[in-house]
Amino acid sequence: MGLARLAPMTAVEAQGLVKTFTSRAGTVEAVRGVDLSVAPGEVFGFLGPNGAGKSTTVRMLTTLATITSGTARVCGIDVTSDPDGARRKIGVALQEAGLDPRQTGREILVLQGRLFGLSRADSAAQAKSLLELVELTDSADRLTKTYSGGMKRRLDLASALVHRPDVLFLDEPTTGLDPASRLVVWDEVRRINRAGTTVFLTTQYLEEADALCGRLAIIDNGRIVCEGSPSELKADLRRRRGLAADPTLDDVFLDVTGRHRERSAGDVKEVS
Amino acid sequence: MSAMTVLGERAMREARRTPDALLPTLLIPIFFLVVNVGQAAKIFPSDGTEFLEGQSYAAFQLPVSLLLAASFGTAALYLVEEVENGYFDKLRATPIPRSAIVLGRLASVALVSIGMTTIMVVLSLFFGVRIASGPIGFVLLVLLTAGWAIGYSGFLQVVALKTRSAAATNSAGLIFFPLLFLTPNLVPRDLLAPSMELAATLNPVTYVMEAMRALILLDHFDWAVVGIGFTVVGGFVAAVIALNVRTMNTYD
Repeated sequence: MGLARLAPMTAVEAQGLVKTFTSRAGTVEAVRGVDLSVAPGEVFGFLGPNGAGKSTTVRMLTTLATITSGTARVCGIDVTSDPDGARRKIGVALQEAGLDPRQTGREILVLQGRLFGLSRADSAAQAKSLLELVELTDSADRLTKTYSGGMKRRLDLASALVHRPDVLFLDEPTTGLDPASRLVVWDEVRRINRAGTTVFLTTQYLEEADALCGRLAIIDNGRIVCEGSPSELKADLRRRRGLAADPTLDDVFLDVTGRHRERSAGDVKEVS
Repeated sequence: MSAMTVLGERAMREARRTPDALLPTLLIPIFFLVVNVGQAAKIFPSDGTEFLEGQSYAAFQLPVSLLLAASFGTAALYLVEEVENGYFDKLRATPIPRSAIVLGRLASVALVSIGMTTIMVVLSLFFGVRIASGPIGFVLLVLLTAGWAIGYSGFLQVVALKTRSAAATNSAGLIFFPLLFLTPNLVPRDLLAPSMELAATLNPVTYVMEAMRALILLDHFDWAVVGIGFTVVGGFVAAVIALNVRTMNTYD
């Protein structure tokens, strides 16, 4: 056996992560000191209401936004001091399925491979295999502007996997998808994780976190308000409230964020 | 192959697939050429107008159309679209130099401009225009126009990255029109009214236009005029590339 690659102790690690935005309206503290630790091989859920700081945290962890203070490491690599090293370790699929509408699915995957340093031939082979995996072979040579929402999401996932990343960041991967497409994405996430990739998943859908995540953290107002496995968090709430049955993850979410829901004019609103 | 080349190839595919975006950049400058020549050709007959150097008024007007064709900045609008739809972040998440993302686009702008300028010069032959300085002059004319296209598109890319707004980028593109009209676009600089002559002298576009004219009208190389044109374009390109790289490196 040759030299074995030493696996880092953590796949994702953040300490005291802070992000402030300054505009003419003043300074906004979007993330206020987030500490995180995700083990290799986990599916880690990162939950929170709109504007809680989920996406900003992901953007810092994926080198897409600067860190105001604190540190972040991916597979042991500091994202600030060695951003390109971190980029080689991660795959990123953000909220919008970021695709070039004037390229075909195959061209996007080949281009992505080339940008990660694969040769033209390796990139084409990897694209072919990923297109088969996400069942887009038949549409591979169509411009992506003709794809449905679910197809775009699957291609976006595939493009995040071209360079075989150790950690996959998925920012609200099922937002806007119909229930059937959502289930397809869930299956993909499970399959990717079974293949050994750590998944860092942000979502607003609590049933999604319950179905996919081994452990999760809930962020609210830029701070993590609770962390643990879904079953631990439910059992904790049941114990604290003296409930007869296990609560749902939704109950946990409302409890730790101090929110409740009100029905008004036919709509259900989340109120803090 | 460098990331810039790979991204340049992608931008070229994009240009090929959007002829509807390219056609106006060819047709509108030709329209201007036809209209301007139609309005003023009789005032400036080739045999009695010294500054035409024996050519038709279309030869004098061709640089105006070439500069207009090189100043549409469509690439910057595609860049804004990518910022808005998230593909820009996808590219930023790859381990390539940040500058390659914007410079790849500018490389394709240069190639498209070379194609467009060649087509326009060929079409202008039907107006009786000839490139008096010969094949080398033609190559210099194409390079000068491509340089201006890189500079202007680069400027709009900076606006696109700073504002992240298609509307703002589009509006910034209109700045070319006052710059174009504050030049000796209809007659040489020394025939302009004093205030216009001063404005044209202060306007860097004037020197690019005069260098183009020197290449089209003169059967020799007036290096003083051509050199100033290339210096202006070179400075413009260097400045906008530096700004593009700086903007990319600090993009958050």
